[in-house]
Amino acid sequence: MDISPPQARSEAREPAQRLARVLVVDDDESVTAAIRTILARHGFETEIYLRAYAGIRALQQSAFDVVLLDIFMPGLNGLDAIEHIRRNSSIPIIAMSGFCLRSSAGYGDCLSLAAQRGATCCIRKPFQTAQLIEAIERSQSSFYPAQGSAS
Amino acid sequence: MEKLTALSLLQAPDADAPLPDDFEFGRIPAARSRVASEVGAAMAHELNGPMTALTLYVADLYLRKSWIVDANGDTESLRRIVESAFREAERICSLLHRMGDTFEAPIPQETAVAVARDAIAWWSRTASSDGRSPSPDNRPADDGNRSAKTLTPREREVLRLVSEGCSNKQGAKQLSISYRTFECHRAEVMRKLGARNTAELVRLALSDQSGSGTSTAPGGN
Repeated sequence: MDISPPQARSEAREPAQRLARVLVVDDDESVTAAIRTILARHGFETEIYLRAYAGIRALQQSAFDVVLLDIFMPGLNGLDAIEHIRRNSSIPIIAMSGFCLRSSAGYGDCLSLAAQRGATCCIRKPFQTAQLIEAIERSQSSFYPAQGSAS
Repeated sequence: MEKLTALSLLQAPDADAPLPDDFEFGRIPAARSRVASEVGAAMAHELNGPMTALTLYVADLYLRKSWIVDANGDTESLRRIVESAFREAERICSLLHRMGDTFEAPIPQETAVAVARDAIAWWSRTASSDGRSPSPDNRPADDGNRSAKTLTPREREVLRLVSEGCSNKQGAKQLSISYRTFECHRAEVMRKLGARNTAELVRLALSDQSGSGTSTAPGGN
């Protein structure tokens, strides 16, 4: 479908910021239902997928402004999903997870892993409405280039 | 004598076996903390989804509390209830965050593969700063002849279902075939594509889907 370049999109957005289309991928249906309800109240349009694979396919087929992605999912996990999305898209990705992975080497938790793979920002579950909205709006406020693992 | 029993328990070959009923927790702090850690992680994990949903709902009520009106006239106390509900939800949230920080979770195997791959890449990046380290990303591509093109239509269907997160059981049900048959198809797909585990299989399916043709199978362990 129509994938407009970043400049065109930021111009089109200037009257009201609240029209972002959000792709939500989380295997927990109560979480996706809550996110859909709350984001709808704040004027966002959402599309829900319970599997990363289905979400990535949707991303290839239509245009979204931001992806909300869970990390621990059956099938394709969120970390690998970020890697796949980053191959041909620099869409903002908000990673979310309640897990904190620590290794004895002090390698870091899964949200910092998500950031290394190119997630634009990460939020820790459970989060409040304000944190969610802020993360989405921040991801829209400037066009983030794909953050590779170069840092 | 008791101590000996406890020690031999710790050294049992199957470290993941459940502890016997007469196991004395006070005696072995390491074992006790491991059990506590896994229970804590499991609890935090189970509570996370519903708590995320509940927090979102309550936080939204809280944001709109000035619009709340009690039909019976006691609006003040109704608003206080919403405020209190929000504060309690906040408290449980920070409790869950603390639990997540404290307890180490046994992570799903496929995610563990992804994490381990990142860890190896990170290690080889930091281990030598000259950038010529044997990073897993620099492996020569070995997927030239591995292509989903050689799959039969049935095998493609099986691959799709596995990629979408179906278990063997669910997949067999969807295709109205037996569990065993599904397993056979799946094994054949893995053999043809050279995938060693489900995570790799899903990755291969996706690279085929996006047409990029580049496989990111994890490096040889």
